[in-house]
Amino acid sequence: MLGDNEAMTTAPGELVRAALRAPLTRRARREFCYCLAGLVPGVVGFWLIMTLLFAGAGLTVTLAGAFPGLLVLALTLRLARRVGELHRWLARRLLTGEFAAPPPFRPARGLLRRLDTRLRDGAGWRAVAYVALKVPVSLLELYAASFWVSGLFNMAFPLWWSQFRSHPANVHLAPFPVITPLPGVDFRVATAPGTLAAFMLGAATLLAAPWLTRAVTAGDRWLIHSLLGPARLAQRVRELEESRAHAVDDAAAALRQVERDLHDGAQVRLAALAMGLGMAKEKLGENGQPVDVTRVRELVESAHSSAKEALVELRDLARGIHPPVLDAGLADALATLAARSIIPVDLTADIGERPTPAIETIAYFCAAELLANAAKHSNANRVFVDVAQRGETLRLRVTDDGVGGADPARGSGLPGLVQRVRTVDGRLDLSSPEGGPTVVTIELPLRA
Amino acid sequence: MRVVIAEDAGLLREGLTQMLTERGHEVCAAVADAEALLAAVKEHRPDVAVVDIRMPPTHTDEGLRAALQLRADHPDTGVLVFSQYIETRYASRLLAGNASGVGYLLKDRVADVAEFADALERVASGGTALDPEVVSQLLGASRRSPGLASLTPRERDVLSLMAEGRSNAGIAAGLVVSGGAVEKHVASIFAKLGLPPSEGDNRRVLAVLRYLGS
Repeated sequence: MLGDNEAMTTAPGELVRAALRAPLTRRARREFCYCLAGLVPGVVGFWLIMTLLFAGAGLTVTLAGAFPGLLVLALTLRLARRVGELHRWLARRLLTGEFAAPPPFRPARGLLRRLDTRLRDGAGWRAVAYVALKVPVSLLELYAASFWVSGLFNMAFPLWWSQFRSHPANVHLAPFPVITPLPGVDFRVATAPGTLAAFMLGAATLLAAPWLTRAVTAGDRWLIHSLLGPARLAQRVRELEESRAHAVDDAAAALRQVERDLHDGAQVRLAALAMGLGMAKEKLGENGQPVDVTRVRELVESAHSSAKEALVELRDLARGIHPPVLDAGLADALATLAARSIIPVDLTADIGERPTPAIETIAYFCAAELLANAAKHSNANRVFVDVAQRGETLRLRVTDDGVGGADPARGSGLPGLVQRVRTVDGRLDLSSPEGGPTVVTIELPLRA
Repeated sequence: MRVVIAEDAGLLREGLTQMLTERGHEVCAAVADAEALLAAVKEHRPDVAVVDIRMPPTHTDEGLRAALQLRADHPDTGVLVFSQYIETRYASRLLAGNASGVGYLLKDRVADVAEFADALERVASGGTALDPEVVSQLLGASRRSPGLASLTPRERDVLSLMAEGRSNAGIAAGLVVSGGAVEKHVASIFAKLGLPPSEGDNRRVLAVLRYLGS
């Protein structure tokens, strides 16, 4: 019960703190900047594109100017893509999240066909739509940004009031207008206590400002995604193309590695073994010849150890291709993996519905790679592996209490894992601040 | 016989060195890559070099390229290329119009120590040693099957051994027949395939290979 009480008292406290801190966050500042930065390109782009669009359309409907008109329209679409690029660049610099570009325009050969493909360029027309919508959005963004300015301005009332408003008692000064976020609401301050009201209004405006800019930029973000990004189907096709390429490369690389391992490992050992036995056979000689027993023993011994090593290598290789224990289920396979790990592993597995073999294999090899990474780089004393199936998702989480700072760019094999997971539409999240802990969460669909 | 060995797997390199030393040959150098091989041959001028095809750094065909260079730079040094796979394309590049002092064997052949040493000696003394696998691949792929079909089974055996680079005496020993019988088979094969009689074992190898490969 005590715990519950604590939770009740801290939750509102946290909320208040978060609300007070909101205007100070980096994200809020960047969103404010975005609201202002988009204004000029928004208005200029609108003017430019709309002028060209109407000029082109106007020319096209007159019979004589049809061809130049179409040329102007093509130019408009091309420019619209450029303007869209600029907006996307601003969003990428100042807003969080990814802003994918539409597939590049693929011109056809010949002037007429080129013109035709340009005029049917969906991404170009969507960019025109964005440019058209950006002006009202810009105005909303400007309005949201004004909350910051007016908030700060109003909060400053008590500071400068005394400087400028000290005057003899018989002089009457007009009440000073306070900026309010709602146009038409007249609010004037004539007295020093009134400045306090202005201050309160300013503070409230400022507290509301980050949420307003966030809401407006969220709308803009949605527009950018749907109008300046790749069309949804095109994006999906591109993702699938990428993941297919990765899967094919991955499979080819894996086979090449198996060939290399066989060539440099078991095949060499077996060749050496055969040669040793051949030499021993010669030493034993024909019937009746004296036998150099010591040398023969040496040769047989080394052949024997070669044979044993070849067995080990072949077993390791076979396990690397497909761990047989995986047939008994992911939980058993992970338990075996955990038992072999150098760092002690705490394993929890909760898998009600068994995933398909491909998913189990991917999860297994991800866990193996992550454990190997932890052993190599993390300096951890313990690793926690948690695998759970929830609905249609299998979640694998590997946490270690090591030094953290895992960087996908630094040869940790993480990019390879990300690609492998993506081939089945899974995702990998990495959190590894300097000083640890490192948490890698992989989510895979249950069926691939 | 003085030998230089180039093989990147240490186990095999040592085994070969041991085996050749025990048979009374001198291993001047045993190296692990193509560059060291070229340097060692330049320095020691051996009778024969044993060259692995796949060696560092790229593990593709550096050994083969080094072997070709040795064939060009040191015609007196025999080159025995050995590898875990047989590529007929590699064989034809190695032979390229001259079958003297060249060999191409599967690594498996080291299991039959005496035969391997025999092939190496043949290459060292300017002969040819082609792996039976090369020959059987060529025989399998040959489009001249009507000519081949007219051969008796025994003649096919003789043809294979001939293509491997064996002398008449070697063929006779391999098939356990008399030298005279081999000569008769060879003459019959050349007649049936319509090949001009060739002097010397190496020319004979080339003639047969050209016939199979064309």
